[in-house]
Amino acid sequence: MRFGRISQAVGVLAIATLALSACAGNTGSPSPTSGGAQEGGTIGVAETNGFSSFNSGTADGNSDVNGHIGYATHSNFLYIDDKLNIVKNEKFGKYEKLSDDPLTVKYTVNEGVKWSDGTQVSAADLLLTWASGSAYYDDSNAEKKTGTTYFLTAADTSGLNLTDFPEIGEDNRSITLKYSKPFADWELALGFAGNGGIDIPAHVVAQKAGLKDAQALVDLFKSVKRGDPAAPKPVNAQLKKVADFWSTGFDSKTLPSDPNLFLSNGPYIVKDVVAEQSLTLVRNKDYNWGPTPHADEIVVRTIGSAPAQVQALKNGEVDIINPQASADTVEQIKALDGVQLLQGKQLSYDHLDLNYSGPFADKDVRTAFMLTVPRKDIVDKIIKKIDPEATPLDSQIFVPAQAAYADSVKNNGSSEYQDVNVDKAKQLLAGKTPTIRIMYNKDNPNRVDAFSLIRESATKAGFKIVDGGLGKADWSAHLGDGSYDATIFGWINSGVGVTGTPQIFKTGGGSNFNGLSSPDADKLMDELIITTDKAKQDELQTKIDAAIWSTSYGLPLFQSPDVKAYSDQISGVTAMPNQTGVWWNVWDWARK
Amino acid sequence: MSQPTQEEVALAQQVQHETVPGPGAEYQGLSQGQIVRKRFFGHTGALIGLAAFALIFIMAFTSVGFAGIPGWWKYNHVDVSPLVNDGVPSASLWPLAWGEHPFGQDRIGRDLFAMTMRGAQQSIIIMVIIGSIAGLIGAVVGGLAGYFRGWVEAILMRLTDVIIIIPVLLLAAVVAQMAGRRDADSWFAGFAASNGVVVLGIFLGLVSWVGLARLVRGEFLTLREREFVDAARISGATNARIIFKHILPNAVGVLIVNITLTMSAAILLETALSYLGVGVKSPDTSLGLLISQNQEAFSTRPWLFWFPGLFIVAICLSINFIGDGLRDAFDPRQKKFRAKSATDSGRHSSETAPASPAASGPAAADSKES
Amino acid sequence: MLSYVVRRLATAALILLGASFLVYLLTASSGDPLADLRASNAPNRQQLMDARSQLLDLDTPAPLRYFKWLGGAAQCLVPFAGTCDLGKSVTGQPITEALGIALVQTLTLVTGATVLAILIGITLGIVTALRQYSALDYGVTFMAFLFFSLPIFWVAVLLKEFGAIGFNNFLRNPVIPLPVSLGTGIVLGVVVAVAAGGEIKRRLISGGVVFALVTAVMVYFSATLWFKNPGLGPVVIGIAGVGMAFAVTTLVSGLKNRKALQASLIVAGLGVVSWFVIQPLLAQATGLMIFLLAIATVLVGVGVGYLMGGYDRGQSMRAAGITAFLVGGLVALDRFMQAWPTYFNNSRVRGRPIATIGAGTPNLQGDYWVLTIDTFTHLILPTVALILVSLASYTRFTRSSMLEIMNMDYIRTARAKGLSERSVIMGHAFRNALIPLATIVAFDIGALIGGAVITESVFSVHGMGFLFLDGITHIDPNPVMGVFLCVAVTAMVFNLIADLAYSALDPRVRIKA
Repeated sequence: MRFGRISQAVGVLAIATLALSACAGNTGSPSPTSGGAQEGGTIGVAETNGFSSFNSGTADGNSDVNGHIGYATHSNFLYIDDKLNIVKNEKFGKYEKLSDDPLTVKYTVNEGVKWSDGTQVSAADLLLTWASGSAYYDDSNAEKKTGTTYFLTAADTSGLNLTDFPEIGEDNRSITLKYSKPFADWELALGFAGNGGIDIPAHVVAQKAGLKDAQALVDLFKSVKRGDPAAPKPVNAQLKKVADFWSTGFDSKTLPSDPNLFLSNGPYIVKDVVAEQSLTLVRNKDYNWGPTPHADEIVVRTIGSAPAQVQALKNGEVDIINPQASADTVEQIKALDGVQLLQGKQLSYDHLDLNYSGPFADKDVRTAFMLTVPRKDIVDKIIKKIDPEATPLDSQIFVPAQAAYADSVKNNGSSEYQDVNVDKAKQLLAGKTPTIRIMYNKDNPNRVDAFSLIRESATKAGFKIVDGGLGKADWSAHLGDGSYDATIFGWINSGVGVTGTPQIFKTGGGSNFNGLSSPDADKLMDELIITTDKAKQDELQTKIDAAIWSTSYGLPLFQSPDVKAYSDQISGVTAMPNQTGVWWNVWDWARK
Repeated sequence: MSQPTQEEVALAQQVQHETVPGPGAEYQGLSQGQIVRKRFFGHTGALIGLAAFALIFIMAFTSVGFAGIPGWWKYNHVDVSPLVNDGVPSASLWPLAWGEHPFGQDRIGRDLFAMTMRGAQQSIIIMVIIGSIAGLIGAVVGGLAGYFRGWVEAILMRLTDVIIIIPVLLLAAVVAQMAGRRDADSWFAGFAASNGVVVLGIFLGLVSWVGLARLVRGEFLTLREREFVDAARISGATNARIIFKHILPNAVGVLIVNITLTMSAAILLETALSYLGVGVKSPDTSLGLLISQNQEAFSTRPWLFWFPGLFIVAICLSINFIGDGLRDAFDPRQKKFRAKSATDSGRHSSETAPASPAASGPAAADSKES
Repeated sequence: MLSYVVRRLATAALILLGASFLVYLLTASSGDPLADLRASNAPNRQQLMDARSQLLDLDTPAPLRYFKWLGGAAQCLVPFAGTCDLGKSVTGQPITEALGIALVQTLTLVTGATVLAILIGITLGIVTALRQYSALDYGVTFMAFLFFSLPIFWVAVLLKEFGAIGFNNFLRNPVIPLPVSLGTGIVLGVVVAVAAGGEIKRRLISGGVVFALVTAVMVYFSATLWFKNPGLGPVVIGIAGVGMAFAVTTLVSGLKNRKALQASLIVAGLGVVSWFVIQPLLAQATGLMIFLLAIATVLVGVGVGYLMGGYDRGQSMRAAGITAFLVGGLVALDRFMQAWPTYFNNSRVRGRPIATIGAGTPNLQGDYWVLTIDTFTHLILPTVALILVSLASYTRFTRSSMLEIMNMDYIRTARAKGLSERSVIMGHAFRNALIPLATIVAFDIGALIGGAVITESVFSVHGMGFLFLDGITHIDPNPVMGVFLCVAVTAMVFNLIADLAYSALDPRVRIKA
């Protein structure tokens, strides 16, 4: 007996079952109902970093992604377009210059502009923005370690700090700022996304800090006097509480259970956040005070590395990417079907600075060195593959996206340095063979390559080049300490506004690392920062540019290329050089 | 961090408390060294590994030259030459040709063959340095702890424990940071500036000895209790003599095998660190740095990604096979057992077999099973 | 015993203190947290530098900062007080919160991979040990070393290119060209012919069968566009169930134990029947329900085995229980396949199911099956990458451990007294060969919690490894310390458990109290 009775029974049963079921393949079985309702108009965007704060204006919250989310969820008096022009959003409100001397500006929010909880955007909100961006109450002294810094803002406070306590309008929707002296960048001082935008609702901050309502917050602001670092006062506990909540209360990697913490007054509102993975924006229903958004939903995915972004785009997981630009990324994107490549330039640029000391104390040596720098070659080898239209940057102050660039370049003396001129360099050196130590960030391949090319060329003219490259954590600490003679690194042009210029080029300026001191330029810059007229500003900057070139300062090398790509199924995406990036016209994005 | 560590493989030895049985009949009359050699050269995988590694080694060190001695290849890893055919590799199998740039060129025109060879040199140097330093420290610390026991062991092993739970990535990041620092005007800075790779290797060696130390200690713990050690002690041998003449030769197998494995892990460690940006720094190069720099070129200029990658795999693979051969050679416990002759006994059904679990050895098997 | 544990814990605490101090100092000294701001040309450069110095408390020397940190960390020892304070990261996020998020991500990513790597590794190790120096042994050894030698980001990039993008493109029109079917069949056939032991004839037959089967299945898949609308159906489940019943019985009790075989076959039959019965229930599945069903399935199997009895009731119960679990798995797999078209056509998936990034499709709506498939399609690539590179150590370890055991005297004794090879291997050798694995697994769990730094970064999973790396790049000691604490504590605890388990499993090892 090979099989027992039970085995046989099992066998029969099994065969019977098989026979019964043979016709019941999956094709016939009822498909289960799962919630696959049509969800249309979704656009996926890749961001490099994870979202971390609903207040992108704070010192620890001002990352690019927080700024982008803040931009999509808030409206302001103005925004910057892709040509770096200021565009006023009059549907949100208006600002007007009431007088030039003293500079007086009145900001009014339109009636009906509301936070997503239904509260009117009011003077209290403007006042909170002003308070956080003006350092008005701070009396801290960094050297003596005394006093208090209240609002930990990432914005430049130097402009608003010039104002007195604002005057609040009768309608409770306006404030008037009076500057103690003219301020060149007054338009950007308040009500501009990411840098003093109307992003944080005063009534929420008031409530969270234990105050009754927004009016109580306004009263508190009124009651505290301007801080004086020379005579620090004891901490004002209530103000500190308000400031602390503003600084850290909106930090969150997930969606807070309290919807007051992510109120929107812009085209979109945050619907969901999955920590370090994704963030979902949906239309703000009430919004009608600005450009109308097209897409119903925007999903932001966090993807760190550039190859991963490209692969995610290729795989259809995102529609818009903004990876770190490299030649290979560009070629990879070009090879993709159904993907549009946007090539542009960022506002950041690499430059070679020569110290006004050591072997370079002699202007002829500086000029000679500048003549040996193969700028075209550097651009060809490093940038051309990413951006075929790249050319060397010819201005210390402007970038080609700005209208004044072309004029400035004509007269600033940059034409001398278009091509390498070893003979003239040798002539200037007159037989000297100075030893030049070039410092750069060894972990940045572009800088390494630029250094290699400069070394090769400069050696021909008789310079002895020492490789002073340092690791990424070390090099910046050495800026300005005199341990090198020349340095290659990057700066970011602000695109709009002029206060960045003295920071770099003025004698003793905060980022003037090579010791440039040009009385002519200094005088022009003093005038520049109190000039409020755009045309006049351009004229002054053009003069400053020429003054700097004439001292053989060093050379701007190239603008960092910018690579963005989006799927064919999306329309409305355009390149934008500043840090708002593709997000600047988020309302135009649409799925075809 | 979840890359498998060779230590896991090596731990296999640690848990084997059994003593090494004597060589079988076929090795009668041979010294231990001869037996090991014979077994090693009888191991096909190890031989192929050895040959492949020798080939790579010779190619890497002769082609682009080393330590000032020029090599036979016309380019070096820093020189920039005009792009030929957009940098596409010129080597081809049919017709078999070498061409101007056999492995292609990178974006600014450096020769990839020269860079790969230079990278292979650096990776091999790092590997050897890590292996020797880790081996030396591991042997000394483990040996002292295992032989003297008591407070020496307590201190050394607690130190080992402290280092072993610090993530290697952190140590490496700090170490790489220090090795990459070239600002201080000291002899060290001068040395590090020209020998960044050596410094990186030394520092990594200083932190990767802990696994070895544990293994060696375990080995010493067993060996010091053996009769021949007692005999030596009674006949008045000094501690040093006992350690070097009696115990160390018996522990050398474990040591060599695990140094080999540490070395293959070292290559991967270097690769991982370079990928994360804390390893070898440009303009010097290593295989790991080359692939991490060129990973974006994967689908557009794949040769930049494939050639260095293949070399890493080849080196690592050959070292692993050499290590495997050494293990088999030193450890006769893994000699082939004859399953064939045993299968005939399968005829006896379990129904007739008496259940006698108690007889089945020290580890009690489940009685229901037999 | 107790005093041993207490002593071990006390030592561990001291080691932890020492190591954490070192880690803190090392991180703090590994660079300059203000590096990026120093090179900035922002007009408020100084203000930003001051703000960050204040946030990271850079004015306090690092050793003092460590003790401040320790003060906060010490509160974590107070249970349920909720005062645990591990500081904040450079973006102002409390570390305790960040760790919570990261831990979940890491565990999702690595748990499956580790379990699978252990299972596959042990199987391969045992098979290669039993067939030492065969073509199979060399093949597996070579592959294991090859995968071990691959840098993981290399593997990951390749997997994404071919496993996700390539496969998704294929799914658009899942037709397999005939040459591909034939080629795959030939390759697999040759592999099997080489791997199968024994006579040439036997090898040829197995190779031929595999070739025919694989080619036929692939042609069938292609013709029916199976990948668009996959499913097993009761027929396949039935055939596979019978096969499993035989295989499981062979391993557990040997086919000679008829009762065990019958029990397994009955269970397989029940599985097919249950396929019809259970579909409406499965439509409302939840995670808990599946878990309960799994338990119920095993219980039914064990019950059938108990009723069948036989001379060794335990064997029958075990064989039937395992078979029940496997067949139940098939039924569940079939149900997943039924949900596949729904998932595939979901507007958020857009017909590209295998993902290259993240741990889930954002805002995906759906039932249990769709959501689970989503998790699966996101985890498959990193899991494969992790398995490939960690397979080697388990395979080699099990192999050498098994080889050693197979040469032991008691194995010879077992053979000598006439036990079947199955009994010798499964009953005597296998279990004892696994004992040392306790150490390895414990060792791995620590590393597992630490995350897979590189895998995480390639697949954009922000787990422990990412947190750690981010801390190192920003020279921010707090996240680094948080991750370190988790890893170190887990590693130490599991090492202790491993040692205790070891002494319980292997009577030769005694704990010195």
